[in-house]
Amino acid sequence: MKSMTLDLNSRTKDIVAGYIYILPSLILIMTFSVIPIFMVVYLSFTKYNVMQPAVFVEFDNYIRMFSDRFVRAGIANTLIYTAIVVPTQTILSMVIAEVIASRFRNRFGSFVKSVMFIPVISSAVLVGSLWLFLLATDNGAVNQILGLFGIHKINWIGTTKTALLSVCIASIWKNVGYFLVIFYAGIMDISSSIYQAARVDGASTTQQFFLITVPLLKPVTLLVIVLGTIWSFQVFDIVYVMTNGGPGKSTVTLVLTIYNAAFKEFSMGYASAVSVLLFVIVMLIYLLQRMFFREDA
Amino acid sequence: MNRSKRINIWDIILGILLLLMAVISFYPFAYMFLMSLTQSKDLLLTVDLSKMNFINYVRVFKNFDFLKYLKNSIIVSGTACLLNCIISSMAAYGFAKKKFPGKESIFFIYLATLMIPGQVTLIPVFTIMKKLNMLNTYPILFLPIINAFGVFLIRQFMDAVPDELLEAAKIDGCKEVSIFVSIVLPLIRTVLVSLTVFTFITSWNDFIWPLVVATDANMKTLTLALSVLKGNYLTNYGLVMAGSTLTFLPPFILYIFLQKQFVEGIALSGVKG
Repeated sequence: MKSMTLDLNSRTKDIVAGYIYILPSLILIMTFSVIPIFMVVYLSFTKYNVMQPAVFVEFDNYIRMFSDRFVRAGIANTLIYTAIVVPTQTILSMVIAEVIASRFRNRFGSFVKSVMFIPVISSAVLVGSLWLFLLATDNGAVNQILGLFGIHKINWIGTTKTALLSVCIASIWKNVGYFLVIFYAGIMDISSSIYQAARVDGASTTQQFFLITVPLLKPVTLLVIVLGTIWSFQVFDIVYVMTNGGPGKSTVTLVLTIYNAAFKEFSMGYASAVSVLLFVIVMLIYLLQRMFFREDA
Repeated sequence: MNRSKRINIWDIILGILLLLMAVISFYPFAYMFLMSLTQSKDLLLTVDLSKMNFINYVRVFKNFDFLKYLKNSIIVSGTACLLNCIISSMAAYGFAKKKFPGKESIFFIYLATLMIPGQVTLIPVFTIMKKLNMLNTYPILFLPIINAFGVFLIRQFMDAVPDELLEAAKIDGCKEVSIFVSIVLPLIRTVLVSLTVFTFITSWNDFIWPLVVATDANMKTLTLALSVLKGNYLTNYGLVMAGSTLTFLPPFILYIFLQKQFVEGIALSGVKG
Protein backbone atom coordinates (compact mmCIF):
# COMPACT_ATOMS: atom_id res chain seq x y z
CA MET A 1 0.00 0.00 0.00
CA LYS A 2 2.70 2.38 1.02
CA SER A 3 4.80 1.58 -2.01
CA MET A 4 1.80 2.20 -4.28
CA THR A 5 1.22 5.73 -2.99
CA LEU A 6 4.93 6.36 -3.37
CA ASP A 7 4.76 5.10 -6.93
CA LEU A 8 1.72 7.29 -7.69
CA ASN A 9 3.48 10.23 -6.13
CA SER A 10 6.57 9.77 -8.24
CA ARG A 11 4.42 9.36 -11.35
CA THR A 12 2.60 12.68 -10.71
CA LYS A 13 5.97 14.24 -10.02
CA ASP A 14 7.16 12.93 -13.37
CA ILE A 15 4.14 14.44 -15.14
CA VAL A 16 4.64 17.82 -13.49
CA ALA A 17 8.38 17.70 -14.20
CA GLY A 18 7.66 16.85 -17.85
CA TYR A 19 5.47 19.91 -18.28
CA ILE A 20 7.97 22.14 -16.49
CA TYR A 21 10.80 20.94 -18.74
CA ILE A 22 8.95 21.73 -21.95
CA LEU A 23 7.22 24.92 -20.72
CA PRO A 24 9.81 27.59 -21.70
CA SER A 25 10.22 26.10 -25.16
CA LEU A 26 6.46 25.64 -25.56
CA ILE A 27 5.82 29.32 -24.74
CA LEU A 28 8.34 30.41 -27.39
CA ILE A 29 7.00 28.02 -30.03
CA MET A 30 3.44 29.13 -29.37
CA THR A 31 4.41 32.84 -29.51
CA PHE A 32 6.70 32.72 -32.54
CA SER A 33 5.26 29.90 -34.67
CA VAL A 34 1.85 28.46 -33.77
CA ILE A 35 -0.17 31.60 -32.94
CA PRO A 36 1.45 33.61 -35.81
CA ILE A 37 0.57 31.01 -38.46
CA PHE A 38 -3.13 31.32 -37.52
CA MET A 39 -2.78 35.10 -37.25
CA VAL A 40 -1.28 35.45 -40.70
CA VAL A 41 -4.23 33.61 -42.21
CA TYR A 42 -6.64 35.86 -40.28
CA LEU A 43 -4.75 39.04 -41.24
CA SER A 44 -4.77 38.02 -44.90
CA PHE A 45 -8.54 38.63 -44.90
CA THR A 46 -8.21 42.13 -43.44
CA LYS A 47 -7.05 45.62 -44.22
CA TYR A 48 -4.50 46.43 -41.56
CA ASN A 49 -1.80 49.09 -41.16
CA VAL A 50 -0.70 48.38 -37.53
CA MET A 51 -1.95 51.79 -36.33
CA GLN A 52 -5.69 51.21 -36.77
CA PRO A 53 -7.55 48.00 -35.92
CA ALA A 54 -7.83 45.40 -38.68
CA VAL A 55 -10.95 45.62 -40.90
CA PHE A 56 -12.34 42.45 -42.42
CA VAL A 57 -12.31 42.66 -46.24
CA GLU A 58 -13.07 39.06 -47.28
CA PHE A 59 -11.05 37.97 -50.32
CA ASP A 60 -9.99 41.45 -51.48
CA ASN A 61 -6.31 40.86 -50.74
CA TYR A 62 -6.28 37.56 -52.63
CA ILE A 63 -8.08 39.09 -55.61
CA ARG A 64 -5.57 41.95 -55.65
CA MET A 65 -2.72 39.48 -55.32
CA PHE A 66 -3.53 37.53 -58.46
CA SER A 67 -3.44 40.66 -60.59
CA ASP A 68 -0.42 42.19 -58.80
CA ARG A 69 2.47 42.59 -61.26
CA PHE A 70 4.99 42.33 -58.42
CA VAL A 71 3.59 38.99 -57.23
CA ARG A 72 3.59 37.69 -60.80
CA ALA A 73 7.14 38.93 -61.34
CA GLY A 74 8.11 37.40 -57.99
CA ILE A 75 6.79 33.98 -59.00
CA ALA A 76 8.23 34.18 -62.53
CA ASN A 77 11.65 35.27 -61.26
CA THR A 78 11.63 32.56 -58.59
CA LEU A 79 10.87 29.91 -61.22
CA ILE A 80 13.75 31.12 -63.42
CA TYR A 81 16.04 31.37 -60.38
CA THR A 82 15.10 27.82 -59.32
CA ALA A 83 15.63 26.50 -62.87
CA ILE A 84 19.15 27.98 -62.93
CA VAL A 85 20.31 27.58 -59.33
CA VAL A 86 18.96 24.17 -58.28
CA PRO A 87 20.29 22.02 -61.17
CA THR A 88 23.62 23.85 -61.25
CA GLN A 89 24.36 23.62 -57.54
CA THR A 90 23.07 20.02 -57.33
CA ILE A 91 25.18 18.70 -60.22
CA LEU A 92 28.23 20.76 -59.30
CA SER A 93 28.24 19.68 -55.66
CA MET A 94 27.54 16.05 -56.56
CA VAL A 95 30.40 15.90 -59.08
CA ILE A 96 32.87 17.61 -56.75
CA ALA A 97 31.86 15.25 -53.91
CA GLU A 98 32.39 12.28 -56.23
CA VAL A 99 35.81 13.52 -57.40
CA ILE A 100 36.95 14.05 -53.82
CA ALA A 101 35.52 10.72 -52.63
CA SER A 102 36.96 8.65 -55.49
CA ARG A 103 40.38 10.25 -55.93
CA PHE A 104 41.23 12.65 -53.14
CA ARG A 105 40.37 11.04 -49.81
CA ASN A 106 43.40 12.81 -48.40
CA ARG A 107 44.39 16.14 -46.90
CA PHE A 108 44.03 17.89 -50.25
CA GLY A 109 40.44 16.67 -50.60
CA SER A 110 39.44 17.75 -47.12
CA PHE A 111 41.23 21.08 -47.64
CA VAL A 112 39.10 21.76 -50.74
CA LYS A 113 35.94 20.78 -48.84
CA SER A 114 36.87 23.09 -45.91
CA VAL A 115 37.61 26.06 -48.17
CA MET A 116 34.41 25.59 -50.15
CA PHE A 117 32.46 25.65 -46.88
CA ILE A 118 33.61 29.20 -46.03
CA PRO A 119 30.94 30.90 -48.19
CA VAL A 120 28.33 28.76 -46.38
CA ILE A 121 29.13 30.30 -43.00
CA SER A 122 29.07 33.85 -44.42
CA SER A 123 25.87 35.87 -44.35
CA ALA A 124 23.88 36.40 -47.54
CA VAL A 125 24.38 40.13 -46.94
CA LEU A 126 28.16 39.68 -47.05
CA VAL A 127 27.99 37.40 -50.10
CA GLY A 128 25.75 39.91 -51.89
CA SER A 129 28.15 42.80 -51.15
CA LEU A 130 31.17 40.79 -52.32
CA TRP A 131 29.51 39.82 -55.60
CA LEU A 132 28.43 43.42 -56.22
CA PHE A 133 32.13 44.24 -56.36
CA LEU A 134 33.15 41.11 -58.28
CA LEU A 135 30.48 41.81 -60.90
CA ALA A 136 31.13 45.57 -61.13
CA THR A 137 31.15 46.76 -64.75
CA ASP A 138 34.49 48.58 -64.53
CA ASN A 139 37.37 46.62 -63.03
CA GLY A 140 35.12 43.97 -61.51
CA ALA A 141 37.02 40.68 -61.34
CA VAL A 142 34.50 38.80 -63.48
CA ASN A 143 34.62 41.31 -66.34
CA GLN A 144 38.43 41.39 -66.12
CA ILE A 145 38.63 37.63 -66.52
CA LEU A 146 36.09 37.66 -69.36
CA GLY A 147 38.16 40.46 -70.93
CA LEU A 148 41.08 38.02 -71.22
CA PHE A 149 38.90 36.00 -73.57
CA GLY A 150 37.97 39.08 -75.55
CA ILE A 151 34.46 39.41 -74.10
CA HIS A 152 33.24 43.00 -73.76
CA LYS A 153 32.38 44.52 -70.38
CA ILE A 154 28.97 43.39 -69.17
CA ASN A 155 26.80 45.56 -66.93
CA TRP A 156 25.79 42.57 -64.81
CA ILE A 157 23.74 44.20 -62.07
CA GLY A 158 22.31 47.11 -64.06
CA THR A 159 20.78 45.23 -66.99
CA THR A 160 17.38 43.55 -66.87
CA LYS A 161 18.69 40.49 -68.72
CA THR A 162 21.64 39.76 -66.42
CA ALA A 163 20.56 41.06 -62.98
CA LEU A 164 18.75 37.85 -62.01
CA LEU A 165 21.63 35.77 -63.37
CA SER A 166 24.00 37.77 -61.14
CA VAL A 167 21.92 36.89 -58.09
CA CYS A 168 21.90 33.24 -59.21
CA ILE A 169 25.69 33.19 -59.54
CA ALA A 170 26.16 34.61 -56.03
CA SER A 171 23.67 32.10 -54.58
CA ILE A 172 25.27 29.11 -56.29
CA TRP A 173 28.67 30.24 -55.05
CA LYS A 174 27.32 30.38 -51.50
CA ASN A 175 25.40 27.07 -51.60
CA VAL A 176 27.70 24.58 -53.35
CA GLY A 177 29.89 24.01 -50.28
CA TYR A 178 26.82 23.10 -48.20
CA PHE A 179 25.47 20.51 -50.62
CA LEU A 180 28.98 19.20 -51.23
CA VAL A 181 29.15 18.20 -47.56
CA ILE A 182 25.74 16.49 -47.78
CA PHE A 183 26.63 14.59 -50.97
CA TYR A 184 30.04 13.60 -49.60
CA ALA A 185 28.41 12.13 -46.48
CA GLY A 186 25.95 10.30 -48.76
CA ILE A 187 28.74 8.79 -50.88
CA MET A 188 30.61 7.73 -47.73
CA ASP A 189 27.49 5.82 -46.66
CA ILE A 190 27.59 3.70 -49.83
CA SER A 191 29.35 0.46 -48.95
CA SER A 192 32.85 0.28 -50.43
CA SER A 193 32.34 -3.42 -51.23
CA ILE A 194 29.95 -2.41 -54.03
CA TYR A 195 32.71 -0.35 -55.66
CA GLN A 196 35.24 -3.14 -55.14
CA ALA A 197 32.95 -5.62 -56.85
CA ALA A 198 32.45 -3.19 -59.73
CA ARG A 199 36.20 -2.71 -60.08
CA VAL A 200 36.74 -6.46 -60.15
CA ASP A 201 34.18 -6.60 -62.95
CA GLY A 202 36.21 -3.97 -64.79
CA ALA A 203 33.94 -0.92 -64.42
CA SER A 204 35.68 2.41 -65.09
CA THR A 205 35.41 5.32 -62.62
CA THR A 206 32.93 7.02 -64.94
CA GLN A 207 30.82 3.86 -65.10
CA GLN A 208 31.02 3.51 -61.31
CA PHE A 209 29.77 7.08 -60.94
CA PHE A 210 26.78 6.71 -63.24
CA LEU A 211 25.86 3.11 -62.41
CA ILE A 212 26.51 3.04 -58.65
CA THR A 213 26.88 6.48 -57.10
CA VAL A 214 24.10 8.33 -58.93
CA PRO A 215 21.36 5.68 -58.43
CA LEU A 216 22.29 4.99 -54.80
CA LEU A 217 22.41 8.70 -54.01
CA LYS A 218 18.83 9.22 -55.21
CA PRO A 219 17.37 9.95 -51.73
CA VAL A 220 20.18 12.43 -50.98
CA THR A 221 19.74 14.08 -54.38
CA LEU A 222 16.02 14.42 -53.76
CA LEU A 223 16.71 16.08 -50.39
CA VAL A 224 19.18 18.49 -52.01
CA ILE A 225 16.69 19.38 -54.76
CA VAL A 226 13.82 19.90 -52.31
CA LEU A 227 15.94 22.02 -49.95
CA GLY A 228 17.30 24.05 -52.85
CA THR A 229 13.81 24.66 -54.22
CA ILE A 230 12.43 25.73 -50.84
CA TRP A 231 15.40 28.08 -50.34
CA SER A 232 14.71 29.54 -53.79
CA PHE A 233 11.22 30.57 -52.76
CA GLN A 234 12.61 32.18 -49.60
CA VAL A 235 15.26 34.34 -51.29
CA PHE A 236 15.40 37.82 -49.78
CA ASP A 237 18.70 38.94 -48.20
CA ILE A 238 20.90 38.53 -51.26
CA VAL A 239 18.41 40.27 -53.56
CA TYR A 240 17.81 43.08 -51.08
CA VAL A 241 21.55 43.77 -50.96
CA MET A 242 22.43 43.26 -54.63
CA THR A 243 19.53 44.68 -56.63
CA ASN A 244 16.58 45.44 -54.34
CA GLY A 245 14.32 43.92 -56.98
CA GLY A 246 15.59 45.98 -59.90
CA PRO A 247 16.25 47.01 -62.51
CA GLY A 248 12.53 47.24 -63.20
CA LYS A 249 11.00 44.16 -61.66
CA SER A 250 13.65 41.82 -62.98
CA THR A 251 14.80 40.49 -59.59
CA VAL A 252 11.66 40.94 -57.47
CA THR A 253 10.97 37.90 -55.26
CA LEU A 254 7.94 36.89 -53.20
CA VAL A 255 9.59 37.72 -49.87
CA LEU A 256 10.74 41.09 -51.23
CA THR A 257 7.11 41.79 -52.19
CA ILE A 258 5.99 40.80 -48.68
CA TYR A 259 8.61 43.09 -47.12
CA ASN A 260 7.80 46.07 -49.35
CA ALA A 261 4.04 45.72 -48.94
CA ALA A 262 4.29 45.36 -45.16
CA PHE A 263 7.09 47.73 -44.19
CA LYS A 264 7.17 50.29 -47.01
CA GLU A 265 3.43 50.65 -47.75
CA PHE A 266 2.17 49.31 -44.38
CA SER A 267 -0.37 47.08 -46.14
CA MET A 268 -0.01 44.36 -43.54
CA GLY A 269 -3.21 42.59 -44.61
CA TYR A 270 -2.11 42.38 -48.21
CA ALA A 271 1.41 41.32 -47.25
CA SER A 272 -0.16 38.57 -45.10
CA ALA A 273 -2.03 37.25 -48.13
CA VAL A 274 1.27 37.02 -50.05
CA SER A 275 2.78 35.28 -46.98
CA VAL A 276 -0.03 32.72 -47.07
CA LEU A 277 0.72 32.14 -50.77
CA LEU A 278 4.39 31.54 -49.91
CA PHE A 279 3.35 29.14 -47.15
CA VAL A 280 1.07 27.18 -49.51
CA ILE A 281 3.86 26.91 -52.12
CA VAL A 282 6.36 25.61 -49.55
CA MET A 283 3.81 23.10 -48.23
CA LEU A 284 3.17 21.90 -51.79
CA ILE A 285 6.89 21.30 -52.27
CA TYR A 286 7.01 19.22 -49.07
CA LEU A 287 3.93 17.30 -50.24
CA LEU A 288 5.55 16.54 -53.61
CA GLN A 289 8.65 15.37 -51.77
CA ARG A 290 6.59 12.96 -49.66
CA MET A 291 4.89 11.57 -52.76
CA PHE A 292 8.27 10.96 -54.39
CA PHE A 293 9.58 9.26 -51.28
CA ARG A 294 6.54 7.00 -51.10
CA GLU A 295 7.07 6.01 -54.75
CA ASP A 296 10.61 5.09 -53.78
CA ALA A 297 9.56 2.78 -50.99
CA MET B 1 51.27 0.33 -67.28
CA ASN B 2 49.48 2.41 -69.86
CA ARG B 3 46.30 2.29 -67.80
CA SER B 4 47.82 3.56 -64.56
CA LYS B 5 49.47 6.40 -66.46
CA ARG B 6 46.11 7.52 -67.85
CA ILE B 7 44.60 7.53 -64.37
CA ASN B 8 47.43 9.70 -63.13
CA ILE B 9 46.77 12.28 -65.83
CA TRP B 10 43.13 12.41 -64.80
CA ASP B 11 44.18 12.80 -61.18
CA ILE B 12 46.25 15.82 -62.15
CA ILE B 13 43.54 17.42 -64.29
CA LEU B 14 40.82 16.89 -61.67
CA GLY B 15 43.16 17.99 -58.91
CA ILE B 16 43.80 21.26 -60.71
CA LEU B 17 40.06 21.75 -61.24
CA LEU B 18 39.43 21.15 -57.52
CA LEU B 19 42.15 23.62 -56.65
CA LEU B 20 40.47 26.12 -59.00
CA MET B 21 37.17 25.58 -57.12
CA ALA B 22 38.93 26.29 -53.83
CA VAL B 23 40.48 29.46 -55.30
CA ILE B 24 37.08 30.65 -56.61
CA SER B 25 35.61 30.03 -53.14
CA PHE B 26 38.32 31.88 -51.27
CA TYR B 27 39.50 34.59 -53.65
CA PRO B 28 36.57 36.99 -52.91
CA PHE B 29 37.44 36.94 -49.19
CA ALA B 30 41.13 37.63 -49.82
CA TYR B 31 40.14 40.40 -52.22
CA MET B 32 37.77 41.85 -49.61
CA PHE B 33 40.54 41.99 -47.03
CA LEU B 34 43.13 43.53 -49.38
CA MET B 35 40.66 46.15 -50.64
CA SER B 36 39.78 47.06 -47.05
CA LEU B 37 43.39 48.24 -46.63
CA THR B 38 43.27 50.70 -49.55
CA GLN B 39 41.82 54.19 -49.98
CA SER B 40 41.20 53.74 -53.68
CA LYS B 41 37.99 55.02 -55.22
CA ASP B 42 38.39 52.39 -57.92
CA LEU B 43 38.33 48.66 -57.71
CA LEU B 44 41.90 47.55 -58.07
CA LEU B 45 43.34 44.40 -59.47
CA THR B 46 46.85 44.85 -58.20
CA VAL B 47 47.37 46.12 -54.70
CA ASP B 48 50.23 48.47 -53.82
CA LEU B 49 51.55 47.00 -50.58
CA SER B 50 53.35 50.20 -49.54
CA LYS B 51 50.08 52.19 -49.51
CA MET B 52 48.19 49.79 -47.27
CA ASN B 53 46.88 50.92 -43.91
CA PHE B 54 44.06 50.45 -41.46
CA ILE B 55 42.43 53.87 -41.94
CA ASN B 56 39.15 52.28 -43.14
CA TYR B 57 38.93 50.24 -39.95
CA VAL B 58 39.52 53.34 -37.83
CA ARG B 59 36.76 55.13 -39.76
CA VAL B 60 34.34 52.22 -39.51
CA PHE B 61 34.79 52.16 -35.74
CA LYS B 62 34.97 55.93 -35.16
CA ASN B 63 32.47 57.35 -37.64
CA PHE B 64 30.13 54.44 -38.15
CA ASP B 65 29.76 53.00 -34.64
CA PHE B 66 30.81 49.50 -35.62
CA LEU B 67 31.98 48.83 -32.07
CA LYS B 68 28.39 49.26 -30.88
CA TYR B 69 27.05 46.95 -33.59
CA LEU B 70 29.75 44.41 -32.79
CA LYS B 71 28.65 44.55 -29.15
CA ASN B 72 24.98 44.15 -30.16
CA SER B 73 25.78 41.16 -32.35
CA ILE B 74 27.83 39.51 -29.61
CA ILE B 75 25.05 40.04 -27.03
CA VAL B 76 22.33 38.78 -29.38
CA SER B 77 24.24 35.75 -30.70
CA GLY B 78 25.72 34.86 -27.31
CA THR B 79 22.37 34.93 -25.53
CA ALA B 80 20.69 33.07 -28.40
CA CYS B 81 23.26 30.26 -28.15
CA LEU B 82 23.08 29.96 -24.38
CA LEU B 83 19.27 30.09 -24.14
CA ASN B 84 18.75 27.78 -27.11
CA CYS B 85 20.98 25.14 -25.52
CA ILE B 86 19.27 25.38 -22.12
CA ILE B 87 15.66 25.66 -23.29
CA SER B 88 15.95 23.09 -26.09
CA SER B 89 17.76 20.48 -24.03
CA MET B 90 15.22 20.91 -21.21
CA ALA B 91 12.36 20.34 -23.65
CA ALA B 92 14.14 17.45 -25.42
CA TYR B 93 14.74 15.79 -22.04
CA GLY B 94 11.08 16.27 -21.10
CA PHE B 95 9.90 14.75 -24.38
CA ALA B 96 12.34 11.84 -24.32
CA LYS B 97 12.38 10.79 -20.66
CA LYS B 98 9.14 11.95 -19.00
CA LYS B 99 5.66 10.59 -19.44
CA PHE B 100 2.88 13.16 -19.49
CA PRO B 101 -0.51 13.42 -21.20
CA GLY B 102 -0.48 15.14 -24.61
CA LYS B 103 3.24 14.54 -25.11
CA GLU B 104 3.02 13.00 -28.58
CA SER B 105 0.57 15.58 -29.93
CA ILE B 106 2.65 18.48 -28.61
CA PHE B 107 5.76 17.00 -30.21
CA PHE B 108 3.85 16.59 -33.46
CA ILE B 109 3.05 20.32 -33.37
CA TYR B 110 6.76 21.00 -32.81
CA LEU B 111 7.65 18.99 -35.91
CA ALA B 112 4.95 20.74 -37.93
CA THR B 113 6.35 24.20 -37.04
CA LEU B 114 9.69 23.16 -38.57
CA MET B 115 8.08 23.38 -42.00
CA ILE B 116 6.97 27.01 -41.56
CA PRO B 117 9.44 29.41 -43.21
CA GLY B 118 10.32 32.34 -40.95
CA GLN B 119 9.28 34.86 -43.60
CA VAL B 120 5.67 33.58 -43.49
CA THR B 121 5.25 34.53 -39.84
CA LEU B 122 7.21 37.79 -40.16
CA ILE B 123 4.14 40.06 -40.12
CA PRO B 124 2.14 38.47 -37.26
CA VAL B 125 5.24 38.17 -35.05
CA PHE B 126 6.09 41.81 -35.80
CA THR B 127 2.52 42.82 -34.89
CA ILE B 128 2.59 40.86 -31.61
CA MET B 129 5.97 42.35 -30.64
CA LYS B 130 4.80 45.86 -31.46
CA LYS B 131 1.76 45.35 -29.21
CA LEU B 132 4.05 44.11 -26.44
CA ASN B 133 6.30 47.15 -26.96
CA MET B 134 9.26 44.90 -27.58
CA LEU B 135 10.55 46.34 -30.85
CA ASN B 136 14.13 47.61 -30.59
CA THR B 137 15.01 45.46 -27.57
CA TYR B 138 17.58 42.68 -27.28
CA PRO B 139 15.12 39.89 -26.37
CA ILE B 140 13.15 40.36 -29.58
CA LEU B 141 16.36 39.84 -31.55
CA PHE B 142 17.35 36.55 -29.92
CA LEU B 143 14.08 34.91 -28.74
CA PRO B 144 12.71 33.98 -32.21
CA ILE B 145 16.00 32.17 -32.97
CA ILE B 146 14.99 29.54 -30.39
CA ASN B 147 12.66 27.19 -32.23
CA ALA B 148 11.68 23.54 -32.49
CA PHE B 149 14.81 22.60 -34.43
CA GLY B 150 17.01 22.44 -31.32
CA VAL B 151 14.47 20.28 -29.47
CA PHE B 152 14.14 17.96 -32.45
CA LEU B 153 17.92 17.71 -32.84
CA ILE B 154 18.69 17.03 -29.17
CA ARG B 155 15.84 14.55 -28.75
CA GLN B 156 17.54 12.27 -31.28
CA PHE B 157 20.61 12.25 -29.06
CA MET B 158 18.71 11.48 -25.84
CA ASP B 159 19.22 7.76 -26.49
CA ALA B 160 22.78 8.43 -25.31
CA VAL B 161 21.27 8.90 -21.83
CA PRO B 162 20.41 5.43 -20.46
CA ASP B 163 17.12 5.22 -18.50
CA GLU B 164 18.81 2.90 -15.96
CA LEU B 165 21.28 5.64 -15.09
CA LEU B 166 18.46 8.12 -14.41
CA GLU B 167 16.58 5.51 -12.32
CA ALA B 168 19.69 4.74 -10.30
CA ALA B 169 20.30 8.44 -9.65
CA LYS B 170 16.70 8.85 -8.51
CA ILE B 171 16.98 5.89 -6.13
CA ASP B 172 20.19 7.41 -4.76
CA GLY B 173 18.10 10.47 -3.88
CA CYS B 174 19.35 12.82 -6.59
CA LYS B 175 17.14 15.87 -7.08
CA GLU B 176 15.45 16.24 -10.47
CA VAL B 177 17.42 19.41 -11.26
CA SER B 178 20.77 17.89 -10.41
CA ILE B 179 19.99 14.80 -12.49
CA PHE B 180 19.43 17.09 -15.46
CA VAL B 181 22.44 19.31 -14.87
CA SER B 182 25.05 16.80 -13.79
CA ILE B 183 24.00 13.63 -15.64
CA VAL B 184 21.97 14.56 -18.75
CA LEU B 185 23.79 17.69 -19.94
CA PRO B 186 27.31 16.19 -19.89
CA LEU B 187 26.11 13.17 -21.88
CA ILE B 188 24.69 15.30 -24.70
CA ARG B 189 27.53 17.83 -24.86
CA THR B 190 28.59 16.97 -28.42
CA VAL B 191 25.17 17.77 -29.84
CA LEU B 192 25.08 20.94 -27.71
CA VAL B 193 28.28 22.11 -29.42
CA SER B 194 26.70 21.49 -32.83
CA LEU B 195 23.56 23.36 -31.79
CA THR B 196 25.64 26.27 -30.47
CA VAL B 197 27.52 26.59 -33.76
CA PHE B 198 24.29 26.40 -35.75
CA THR B 199 22.58 28.98 -33.51
CA PHE B 200 25.58 31.29 -33.66
CA ILE B 201 25.69 31.30 -37.46
CA THR B 202 21.92 31.70 -37.76
CA SER B 203 21.73 34.65 -35.38
CA TRP B 204 24.97 36.32 -36.53
CA ASN B 205 23.88 36.20 -40.19
CA ASP B 206 20.19 36.89 -39.56
CA PHE B 207 19.01 39.78 -41.69
CA ILE B 208 15.30 40.20 -42.42
CA TRP B 209 14.25 39.94 -38.77
CA PRO B 210 16.68 42.60 -37.42
CA LEU B 211 15.87 44.73 -40.48
CA VAL B 212 12.23 44.77 -39.40
CA VAL B 213 12.49 44.99 -35.61
CA ALA B 214 15.76 46.90 -35.03
CA THR B 215 14.85 50.23 -36.58
CA ASP B 216 16.67 52.17 -33.87
CA ALA B 217 20.30 52.77 -34.88
CA ASN B 218 21.42 51.75 -31.37
CA MET B 219 19.96 48.27 -31.75
CA LYS B 220 21.38 47.31 -35.14
CA THR B 221 23.40 44.12 -35.47
CA LEU B 222 26.63 43.95 -37.44
CA THR B 223 25.06 42.20 -40.43
CA LEU B 224 22.30 44.82 -40.58
CA ALA B 225 24.81 47.67 -40.17
CA LEU B 226 26.83 46.26 -43.07
CA SER B 227 23.82 46.46 -45.39
CA VAL B 228 23.26 50.09 -44.33
CA LEU B 229 26.95 50.93 -44.86
CA LYS B 230 26.87 49.24 -48.28
CA GLY B 231 23.68 51.12 -49.17
CA ASN B 232 25.08 54.54 -48.28
CA TYR B 233 28.73 54.24 -49.31
CA LEU B 234 28.68 51.75 -52.16
CA THR B 235 31.44 53.52 -54.10
CA ASN B 236 33.71 53.86 -51.09
CA TYR B 237 35.00 50.36 -51.70
CA GLY B 238 37.64 50.27 -49.00
CA LEU B 239 35.18 51.34 -46.31
CA VAL B 240 32.53 48.76 -47.27
CA MET B 241 35.20 46.06 -47.49
CA ALA B 242 36.46 46.97 -44.00
CA GLY B 243 32.90 46.63 -42.66
CA SER B 244 32.52 43.34 -44.52
CA THR B 245 35.78 41.98 -43.13
CA LEU B 246 34.73 42.86 -39.57
CA THR B 247 31.38 41.11 -40.02
CA PHE B 248 33.07 38.06 -41.51
CA LEU B 249 35.93 37.71 -39.03
CA PRO B 250 34.17 36.33 -35.91
CA PRO B 251 32.45 33.40 -37.68
CA PHE B 252 35.59 32.76 -39.73
CA ILE B 253 37.90 32.60 -36.70
CA LEU B 254 35.48 30.24 -34.95
CA TYR B 255 35.31 28.14 -38.11
CA ILE B 256 39.07 27.74 -38.23
CA PHE B 257 39.09 26.36 -34.68
CA LEU B 258 35.86 24.35 -34.76
CA GLN B 259 35.75 23.13 -38.36
CA LYS B 260 34.30 19.70 -37.66
CA GLN B 261 31.60 21.05 -35.36
CA PHE B 262 30.70 23.73 -37.91
CA VAL B 263 30.23 21.28 -40.73
CA GLU B 264 28.23 18.94 -38.49
CA GLY B 265 26.15 21.69 -36.89
CA ILE B 266 25.21 23.25 -40.19
CA ALA B 267 24.85 20.06 -42.23
CA LEU B 268 22.62 18.57 -39.50
CA SER B 269 20.29 21.47 -40.07
CA GLY B 270 19.12 19.91 -43.34
CA VAL B 271 15.50 20.34 -42.32
CA LYS B 272 15.94 23.96 -41.43
CA GLY B 273 16.86 26.71 -43.90
